[in-house]
Amino acid sequence: MKLTEDDLYRSSTQFKHWSFTPEQLASQRLKTNITASERVKAAVKRQRAQRLRQQDTASTSESERNGSGIENGGNTPIPMDKEVNCLTVAEEQKLVNTFCERAIDLGTFFKFPTEVIATGVQYLRRFYLYNSPMTYEPQTISRSAMFIANKTEGHHLTLEKYAAGLTKTSTEQVLAPEYLIVQALRFHFDVRHPFRGLKGGHLEMVEMAKGNAAILPTLGKSAKELQAEMQKLPRKAGGPPTNTTIKDLEKRVTEAYGHASHILKTAAILTDSYFLYTPSQTWLSAHLLADEPLTHFYISSKFPPPATSNPTYTKLLSKLRECAALLSSHRSFTSSSTSKEEKEAREKKEQAEVQQLIKKLRHCRDPDKMDLVKLNKAQKRDAAEGGQLEESKAKRRKLEREGYQKEADEFWGPELPKMENGAKAN
Amino acid sequence: MAYSPVLSPKPNPPATKPLPANPKTKALAILNASNSPATTAASTPGDGGLDLAEQMNDEVRRQFITGNRLGEGTYAIVYSGHYLSDPKSLVAIKKIKVNADYKDGIAMDAIREIKYLSELSHPNIIRLHAVFSTKDQNISLVLEHLPLGDLEQLWKTHTVSYGIADIKAWASMLAQAVWFCHENFILHRDIKGNNLLIAADGTVKLADFGLARSFADPGRPMTYNVITRFYRPPELLYGARYYGGGVDVWSMGVVIAELAIREFFLPSETDVGQLSAIYEVFGHPTEESWPGISKLEFYIPPDASSTATTNGVKVGKKGQPLGYWKARFPLLGEDGIDLVRGMLTLDPRKRLSARQVLEHRYWTNAPRPTKKEDLPKQGGGEKKMGEDLKRRGGEVDSGRADKVARKLDFSALKK
Ligand SMILES: Nc1ncnc2c1ncn2[C@@H]1O[C@H](COP(=O)(O)OP(=O)(O)OP(=O)(O)O)[C@@H](O)[C@H]1O
Repeated sequence: MKLTEDDLYRSSTQFKHWSFTPEQLASQRLKTNITASERVKAAVKRQRAQRLRQQDTASTSESERNGSGIENGGNTPIPMDKEVNCLTVAEEQKLVNTFCERAIDLGTFFKFPTEVIATGVQYLRRFYLYNSPMTYEPQTISRSAMFIANKTEGHHLTLEKYAAGLTKTSTEQVLAPEYLIVQALRFHFDVRHPFRGLKGGHLEMVEMAKGNAAILPTLGKSAKELQAEMQKLPRKAGGPPTNTTIKDLEKRVTEAYGHASHILKTAAILTDSYFLYTPSQTWLSAHLLADEPLTHFYISSKFPPPATSNPTYTKLLSKLRECAALLSSHRSFTSSSTSKEEKEAREKKEQAEVQQLIKKLRHCRDPDKMDLVKLNKAQKRDAAEGGQLEESKAKRRKLEREGYQKEADEFWGPELPKMENGAKAN
Repeated sequence: MAYSPVLSPKPNPPATKPLPANPKTKALAILNASNSPATTAASTPGDGGLDLAEQMNDEVRRQFITGNRLGEGTYAIVYSGHYLSDPKSLVAIKKIKVNADYKDGIAMDAIREIKYLSELSHPNIIRLHAVFSTKDQNISLVLEHLPLGDLEQLWKTHTVSYGIADIKAWASMLAQAVWFCHENFILHRDIKGNNLLIAADGTVKLADFGLARSFADPGRPMTYNVITRFYRPPELLYGARYYGGGVDVWSMGVVIAELAIREFFLPSETDVGQLSAIYEVFGHPTEESWPGISKLEFYIPPDASSTATTNGVKVGKKGQPLGYWKARFPLLGEDGIDLVRGMLTLDPRKRLSARQVLEHRYWTNAPRPTKKEDLPKQGGGEKKMGEDLKRRGGEVDSGRADKVARKLDFSALKK
């Protein structure tokens, strides 16, 4: 009685709800961007109209009015005439990626375990699939997401200690977006990481190098034979065979692990790899980047020989290459051929671009969502007042909904009645 | 590495459109399907500032109707409920209480229960239909409706009589639930009769994952302060911080034993008392019977407390012989006794794993376990269970703080 890793992954919420094709990701991001932009523009328009009205009634000077600004967004100048210049999808992506990197730094500063950091970053990526940085400011969200990750990964950390370790952040500020985030995550707290898989594979490779690996009977080889073959593996793909000592071989296996592990802790969590690939595919890809011949050898040992003529093997390898290409496309990925100057230049360019974006963001934030602490309090107050307020709101919603429904009906013809009544969620 | 997983094609889940059937979002979805995403811009910010996630949450919430209160636990109040679309599809809605003492946001019990139940889908584990939060920021879990009480009530209800094959059927459902958790690298850490709820069709389902966690990576310590005392294995009582599935297997052994004797098997009033109760039956473990035991924080060797000696060395209590088991556990049969003793082996390394439990001959040897539809049931759980009955296990409102095992209270026992 044993479930395969595959069975286990397929029942996960990550697989069922957070796995996508590149096209699905792109279209969701576009949708999020459009919705947020519309909202920002409308909110700004509303605010301008309100100011104009105030201008009519009060006689405060122009400068004073601009100075008072909006709560918490006092430095958000809203030009009175210009259309708001919103972020593009690509710009949003870049900002989110930047804040994911900063979240790693934050986690490293607090010495959170790898899983906590990786989960926190993944929460951020999931959150911003359905929300725009224009609506919710990424620094605020990332601090809170990281705190949630500590809880969901069972890593003990008190709110007080955490907030104290952050600059200018109150416990209230950390908690304010908590509900927002868990709702956006749709209460899926579990994130499947590639770390354990990598560790397991590594231990297997160590055993292979030592000549005591447990071997699939279909392979038709002894552990010693496998070891001997392994000693001949070329350093680089396509290179000449080597004659590696067992000690050096073990060293090679360990180095590959170190490199792959680094890729998993950086490039893998900073790209879309979790959305696009399974944990096994991800760790094997990272390992492929670290040591291609060794990874090929390892994977081949899982197939009856010759593996290369096995369609499943071929398919797997092309999947891994695809994932490896994604991982190595990340700025953090460096191969031995990257020079120091090249790296520094890359960083500098990135920094400049990010600064530019952060500046741009300041001018296109949703004024309704600036102060999450206040918003959070207002929401609780709303709920407490309940009654009348609820009712009028509900009525308005109903009207709105009917409106949408009518629009849709006019365009597409009415919905099938079956869907209205019999539909059941999940 | 089991090699199948990596062979699976890139995950391509069925419907990744997570948008529920909100008329508005539905309209959006239709528009999208027509490949004209630009038209989605039709959305106006008129939802009182609700964003997509909030709308989705509201949509989930509106699918359910909350009914009568079913009961109250330490950290939640449970209501009966049903799908709005179908009054016959019953659910239990577990509303997490706001704990004024816990200042760190969403409670850990809720987080753990949601996290693990969302990943587990098994006929012997309570199903989590949905989760939503309300305006006042309370979280509710929509759970499978399990109206026929629990295993503890079952053995306590003396109007229900049952036999050897019935116990085997219940035990088997429990064993499969635990096995499935462990295959998923999840420790339950609070297995006991009253967390094993019974569905209308008699199926036993493991519930209450408020103390669950993933198997720790080697070397990462865990708290030993888990599992209700009667069901807590010796390694936790000794303060072990590195443990595995064995802790749940021990609890499972105690639950099965209770079913067989229809009383608490290892009751005690304190943690030290719990160890004595265990020694009474299994003897006092030593470095010989359990290598490494002396390194555990709270281990006490059998010296001062003991009078027996072998070759001049004081030894602890000896375990009960097979005869004791045969006399006390006729409802387990010889195979059942062997299995339960395997689950209740003191040294966790020698204890059966959940997988080994399922491989035991007990399940396949005669008598066959009773078919689910033929199992004895207790009548309508809802009416029968007064508040007093619910407290019978000796549970007390201890404001179960994070990582603290629920305390037991004995007022219910001394009568
Ligand atoms: N899925 C369910 N179906 C029907 N009734 C339920 C369900 N879950 C819980 N109940 C009822 O609600 C009561 C409270 O349940 P809950 O799980 O919150 O607490 P408990 O297990 O009794 O106590 P504690 O959480 O302190 O261990 C139960 O005793 C039971 O009567």
